Amino acid sequence: MSAPSSAPVASGLASTDFMSAQRRNRRMTRWLLIVLTLIAAGLGASIGAMLEFEGGTASDALSALTGPAAIAGAMLLGLASLLWSGITLALGDRLLAGISGAREVGRENEPQLHNIVEEMAIAAGLPKPKVLVIETEVPNAFATGMRTSRAAIGVTRGLLDSLSRTELQGVIGHEMGHIANLDTRYMTAVGVTVGLIAMVSEIALRAFRWGSFGRSRSSAGDNKKGGGQLILIVVFLVFAILAPIAAKFVQFAVSRQREYLADATSVQFTRNPEGLIGALRKLTEAAKPFPGVSGATQHLFIINPLRQFTSRTWSLLATHPALEDRIARLENLGA
Amino acid sequence: MDTTWIVIGIVVVVGLWLAMTYNRLVSLRNQARNAWSQIDVQLKRRHDLIPNLVEVVKDAMGYEQETLRQVVEARNSAVNAKGPAEVGVAEAALTAATTKLFALMENYPQLKANDNVMQLQEELTTTENKISFARQFYNDSIMGLNNMVQSFPANMIAGMFGFAVMPHLDIPDAERAVPKVDLR
Repeated sequence: MSAPSSAPVASGLASTDFMSAQRRNRRMTRWLLIVLTLIAAGLGASIGAMLEFEGGTASDALSALTGPAAIAGAMLLGLASLLWSGITLALGDRLLAGISGAREVGRENEPQLHNIVEEMAIAAGLPKPKVLVIETEVPNAFATGMRTSRAAIGVTRGLLDSLSRTELQGVIGHEMGHIANLDTRYMTAVGVTVGLIAMVSEIALRAFRWGSFGRSRSSAGDNKKGGGQLILIVVFLVFAILAPIAAKFVQFAVSRQREYLADATSVQFTRNPEGLIGALRKLTEAAKPFPGVSGATQHLFIINPLRQFTSRTWSLLATHPALEDRIARLENLGA
Repeated sequence: MDTTWIVIGIVVVVGLWLAMTYNRLVSLRNQARNAWSQIDVQLKRRHDLIPNLVEVVKDAMGYEQETLRQVVEARNSAVNAKGPAEVGVAEAALTAATTKLFALMENYPQLKANDNVMQLQEELTTTENKISFARQFYNDSIMGLNNMVQSFPANMIAGMFGFAVMPHLDIPDAERAVPKVDLR
């Protein structure tokens, strides 16, 4: 378990593998957040252009899209989404998102589980999180908490019954990875921005339908030869309708990236990808929904409790990557 | 007038950088010290657990007196070891001895049925894991600290406030050697 001048390594595991995996992942998350901000800015620009446009030809419409009102709209909404998610990330309140049916267990009832959580907390250099158990035979696990000092790790009874110690350690390492990487806070910040985009689109679409939108609405009928109006309306509608959907896709993509990141972080802690690989196989085989999970909490779990993605059918709407892809990446770390 | 503002700006930026670098050094050093004391705590805990385990298995493992004696000896020399180098070697020998004991215990089904034994074995396993995870975290922490202490320009601040390079914890070869178990 030692190398003279670099981080300690085990079983032929190059010390930099998980680190570069983590770096790639963080870079990917940053890009996705930029895309999210651009979606918000595009929506703001199309709204601004609609508000400013006074009728005219197609080229007038195009210049309105880059006019001062459009730019102001883009900056306003782009900045608002950046600020809003930034504030969420920076503050991170004391909220501990609850999973119904999970209750805290004492060390005397689950000594081994407590031991493994302590081991992973030491490996992460973080305080020990609360330990929760959900009484269901479906094996799964989750982590929650907006700050590292106030977090919780929960496992189901089925997980405790079906996994070996090493596999359980891999799973707890994954959950500790979510806590160390501040994923609950991350996903809350992304969710807040996605919510902002959805809200603004909704308001803009309603205003448009009621006809109170754009100074030239009334003149649209008598100014048929302009054609610019139509172009702008199409651009606006495309943005207002597609922006919330695109934002949702980005949200799920971020969620998948954070799952990969937590897998890599688990290997950083345990220095042993085999435990997590074995656990993921067992978990996926036995996966099915259980009381206490919903669409709102599905991203918290180590494997998606609501939908099964055993095949490599890549889904834009998945909170978790396909199992094969996760295992393939883990095997790369161990190669 | 303009130059005054520029000078003030530079002073503020340098001051901020100084404060941030200093704080980063302090937190890295605390992290490393914390991990170091965690290692200490877990080593002591292992020393306390081993006599208990030997006590509960010694009757069942009548044919393994030699192994048990080695474990107790390794434990005693680890307790008495002084200085990081000596402690490292002694603890590595102790890990090798207990690993061998655990492997041998697999041959005694009656021990697996004994809750007391299983509990002690779990406690020893977790203690050994904690030792290696704390060591791993210590090494990761000091890598960050040492990089800062040695590289420009943070090394100027490190020198000014007496931040020194901390030693990397290497594990002696004995610990990595696979214990030989005689399976009869």
